[in-house]
Amino acid sequence: MLEELRLCAPSWDVCVVDDGSSDGTASVAREKGAVLLRLPINLGIGGAVQTGYLWARDHGYDIAAQIDGDGQHDPRHLAAAVRPIEAGTADFVIGSRYLSAGGFRSTALRRAGTRYLSWFLGLRCGAHVTDPTSGFRVAGRRAIELFAASYPSDYPEPEAIAFAMRRGLGVEEVPVVMRSRQHGSSSIGPGRTLYYLIKVSLALILLPVERRRNAELSG
Amino acid sequence: MTNPLLPLELQILACVTLLAFSGWVLYLVRLQSLSLRDSLLWLLSTGVVVVFAIFPRLLQDLARAIGVQVPSNALFALAILYLTLNVLSLTIVLSKESTRTRRLAQECALLRAELDAMRARVERLLPA
Repeated sequence: MLEELRLCAPSWDVCVVDDGSSDGTASVAREKGAVLLRLPINLGIGGAVQTGYLWARDHGYDIAAQIDGDGQHDPRHLAAAVRPIEAGTADFVIGSRYLSAGGFRSTALRRAGTRYLSWFLGLRCGAHVTDPTSGFRVAGRRAIELFAASYPSDYPEPEAIAFAMRRGLGVEEVPVVMRSRQHGSSSIGPGRTLYYLIKVSLALILLPVERRRNAELSG
Repeated sequence: MTNPLLPLELQILACVTLLAFSGWVLYLVRLQSLSLRDSLLWLLSTGVVVVFAIFPRLLQDLARAIGVQVPSNALFALAILYLTLNVLSLTIVLSKESTRTRRLAQECALLRAELDAMRARVERLLPA
């Protein structure tokens, strides 16, 4: 993954977030010369991703891309995903596997869940996002600052889109082709899909209160 | 004074138990195992229960006022409310703490990365 990033996106600084793992992520990242953000305790995906955004904010980056470490995301799509931000038409770009033909698309059940979330997100905050659970994202400066200050935990992807929409950030999608994981398995098994959907729906309904609280915390 | 609601022995037992409990809470505060702020809800709610143990008539009046037939049911309802409030306050504290722990862990990761960068620079400048 890191090799590929260096080949496809040589101008990017790479930062690896190691969420308390013991699988040698740290030594691989060091070996490849990436910045390593090693969390002393396991925070889960929300806390881990936010750590990356904190790093980007503190070091003054104008654009930060977020890519899963399991090989699902192809760094070749980075250039296209960055374009809307550089053009100033969006603050937050999501790589959607449903806008492109082919590639890995997950099971029918997951697809139905995704479609529901996409519909609900549109209903709740007017976002037109076809792939709300995609972990392939590029954030501009405003999005970096927002996510560094407040980022949802647990199953954060759809909620993060809602956060961005609520703050009036421009959200766009670009087509990407996803591959099946090179290693590891999804954190969401079939039995948990329902829990996932309920939790995320609730989180989206409760959004305004949560935002106010976060604003207090960060302000 | 004879009290048809609560036999004297039971009243004394309840008071002793509750006072012992309050004493334990205060002891924990003095041991610094429990902060004074967190102990206040326990002391306050225990105090209310003591008042009901000493004056069971109050409980009876309260039961009548809210339309509960059996005073002991009002007692159970109050007890459940008491526990619920205490557990809720506990959960709020816990949520706040986990947010703070998350921040600390993130800060830790950021500082480690800074340290890595500094170490690399120092090693470049001063090869061992």
